[in-house]
Amino acid sequence: MRIIKETNINFMGQRKLSAILSAFVILAGVISLIINGGPKLSIDFKGGILVSVQYTEPMDVTAIRTSLGKINIDGQSFDFSREEIKHFGGPDAVSVRVPHIDDAPENFAQKIVDHLYDSFPGQVPDNKTDFILGKGSVGPKIGAELSGKALMAIISALGLILLYISIRFEFRFALGAIAALAHDVLITLGIFSLLGFEISLPIIAAFLTIVGYSLNDTIVIFDRIRENVKASKREAYHTIVNHSINDSLSRTIITSLTTFFVVLVLWLFGGEVIHNFAFAMIIGVIVGTYSSIYIASPIVVHLHETATK
Amino acid sequence: MNSKLAPRFLIIGLVLIWAIWAIWPTFQYQRLSDAEKEMLREEGKLAQIESRTIKQGLDLKGGMYIVLEVDLPTLMETLAENKDGKFNRSIASVRNQLKRIPEANFFTLFTTTSGENNLKLSRYYYDYGSNNSDIIVALQDEAEDAINRVLEILVNRVDQFGVAEPTIQKQGNQRIIVELAGVQDSERARTLLESTALLEFFIVKDINTTNQLMVRIDQVLKGDESIAAVTKTTIDKKSNEFQESDDQTISVSELFGETEGSEASSDSAVVDENIFAERPFSAMLRNLGQTIGVPEKNVYAVKKILERPEVQEKLAAVGGMFLFSNKAEEYPLVDGTLEMMYSLFLVEDAAELTGGVVEEAKANLGSQGSTSAGQPIVNLTMNSDGARKWSIVTGSNVGRQVALVLDKKVHMAPNIREKISGGSTLIEGFADINEAKDIAIVLRAGALPAPVDIIEERVIGPSLGADSVRSGTLSIIIGLGLVLVFMIIYYRFSGLIADFALIWNIVLVLAVLASLQATLTLPGIAGLILTVGMSIDANVIIFERIREELRKGKTPKAAVKSGYDRALTTIIDANMTTVIAALVLWQFGTGPIKGFATVLFWGILISMFTAIFVTRTIFNSLTSRKGFTKLSI
Repeated sequence: MRIIKETNINFMGQRKLSAILSAFVILAGVISLIINGGPKLSIDFKGGILVSVQYTEPMDVTAIRTSLGKINIDGQSFDFSREEIKHFGGPDAVSVRVPHIDDAPENFAQKIVDHLYDSFPGQVPDNKTDFILGKGSVGPKIGAELSGKALMAIISALGLILLYISIRFEFRFALGAIAALAHDVLITLGIFSLLGFEISLPIIAAFLTIVGYSLNDTIVIFDRIRENVKASKREAYHTIVNHSINDSLSRTIITSLTTFFVVLVLWLFGGEVIHNFAFAMIIGVIVGTYSSIYIASPIVVHLHETATK
Repeated sequence: MNSKLAPRFLIIGLVLIWAIWAIWPTFQYQRLSDAEKEMLREEGKLAQIESRTIKQGLDLKGGMYIVLEVDLPTLMETLAENKDGKFNRSIASVRNQLKRIPEANFFTLFTTTSGENNLKLSRYYYDYGSNNSDIIVALQDEAEDAINRVLEILVNRVDQFGVAEPTIQKQGNQRIIVELAGVQDSERARTLLESTALLEFFIVKDINTTNQLMVRIDQVLKGDESIAAVTKTTIDKKSNEFQESDDQTISVSELFGETEGSEASSDSAVVDENIFAERPFSAMLRNLGQTIGVPEKNVYAVKKILERPEVQEKLAAVGGMFLFSNKAEEYPLVDGTLEMMYSLFLVEDAAELTGGVVEEAKANLGSQGSTSAGQPIVNLTMNSDGARKWSIVTGSNVGRQVALVLDKKVHMAPNIREKISGGSTLIEGFADINEAKDIAIVLRAGALPAPVDIIEERVIGPSLGADSVRSGTLSIIIGLGLVLVFMIIYYRFSGLIADFALIWNIVLVLAVLASLQATLTLPGIAGLILTVGMSIDANVIIFERIREELRKGKTPKAAVKSGYDRALTTIIDANMTTVIAALVLWQFGTGPIKGFATVLFWGILISMFTAIFVTRTIFNSLTSRKGFTKLSI
């Protein structure tokens, strides 16, 4: 069976159009990021408390909001009605996120859980350990450190990859690949910002996997370009690149499809905890495939053409 | 079979045998019921099996993850001698800077602040060196030493807590990570872990002194306009406002410990307004016989009152201080309802002894024939120095209470019945043996060299973990099934070969994880699924190449050969970049993320073996057979 017959699509001819499309999506994301004052960071990076609890029947978020409007812990009063309160997985489960408070009472997270338990008698499991799905409390110090580490991770991954491609190919290929990566991460970040999803530690892992995946795709095409340049020196550079993309197109589509299938399955069935991770991967697979054809390759062509002029 | 292929088949065979051997214990372990596990544990065989299985991360089996950090400013205060105002101001300034820039290094700040304030460290730390930089280095060593001792003590405590496979490790030089699988009672675990400050013995002041002091505090507060005004104001403050309010003027909501607005008066008022006007402090307290009770709702207000300078003055006058009990307990009220209350103790402001003198503390049931027969008791023994001081302390305070104070919290305040001169003390009055055990642990842990704070805590409930295992397994099965079916439809017989390689890829990754004793986390499962998607890529690249070569009119054998040869560099170059990303993640990540990176790394490396070496061997043996003319691809 074959999905893709031999093709001869003029990808390089579409590069202006694709540049405009990419610029538009990135711009939308960046504007959203600016309006929201940067990406929405999870407690992993900002510090704070996140509790998720399981009720025995569907809960109304507004009712929980009201109950958290007047919460009294060890005589200290708090109003959490404006904090992030939402369903977690299904309508029976709820998660509450509270920012870090300097002079918070001891064992604060547990006391918030207790309040959520006591406020709705009859709608909670008999055993409190069945009630707690999870709780986390992260100090601002850990958060600040993790942000630094995540940034370091992304920068050093990009640096090492740039180095590897420069050695194995040429420097302009490395530039093309890095531009494609920046494009992918920016778009994913922008879409997360537009949808109001938060950036947690697993999302950073997803970003780095997207980086790896997108490069994988880009390099397969670069490899073809390298091979075809050796084989036919007389043809125009952009024609060779076009050929190369067409040559590897069926592989690109099949691999993207299989990977897309599995991350889609992960998104649908993987459970609440990795839902957003899988979502980032879905965007990454789509954008990564697109960028190796429409971002990385045109940049290599452009750099080659300006160098030979 | 082609004789040239024999070594290749041998390698593949050996790898497969190794994989089965490595993965077998995990498989066996999964099939054991809890009862069978218990039986093996008794026979002492379980640990052996467990040491060869893939471990499940806390996010899969549920449990607690806690990061503790040594409170360096407090440690430095404890180590310093001849502390004066200048020193205290410098430490306070470093504390404030740390609050603003949490990721800053304490010693860097301490060095610069000492320089700015012209602080001669040799004045306070004369044992540690003569100039500031030497002293800072020595203090850094001291801090590292402190965390090592804390680690040892924590290991002891957690062992006594009775958790299966606890993990306690040092991270950097001032942190400890504690992982307790399956622990749900975070309250009890937290208390044990956090009870890390100095253990001290304080004499509790007698009832008369306490009562007189309370009257004096009431009088001081009564004259205070800010509090007097409070009773007349209607209660309509919003909870958020008072948090921002100045500490000097406690708003009504703070004093009442309730902020339900005007409903407060109808809702079983915490204080009686009339009594409150006369006695603003004691109205918030309850008489529990020998001790003072503080209803949970009033804790914050009572703490705020005790912090007030005029109240501190009165306390200093009698040489005492107030300490809270470590936890609230239920007490019946006059009307028969139960209320959670903390106990409040007025103790002498200097400790009689510190925990360093404790040699041994054991929980037991009282021996037959003694007055405490069958009752839970704690036997406490002290070293000779401690025993001598203890005999003086107990001798001059018979009939009074001695408070066992850890981290400035009273864990127990037994009465001194008689002078104890042998250095061996018997403590009784526990509700059950567990309570006695916890007190014994607290006593035995003794003086921890440095106070520690919990700076990160994560608890994953068992149901969420089980959910994750279920949905993770489901995703693997569905994802894998889809890819397997797709490959067969698209590449027919060749697809089947690729499928065979893919399944081996997964089995081998699990085998490597088992022999590395790696921990499988939820992101790790995601990594496994991702490996499925990405490792099939190598075969797709190869097969597309073979198809191309076949279209050019090559024979199947030649097409397979050049297909593999040409695809090889592509696959290596493409996979290397993902390997780099995985290595970086492994280097920077912690816990779950590390689990993801491990799986991704091995998944890709192994995929190169299965997707290239294994499939090629099968293809070669196919194409070298006589009469082979058509390749199903």
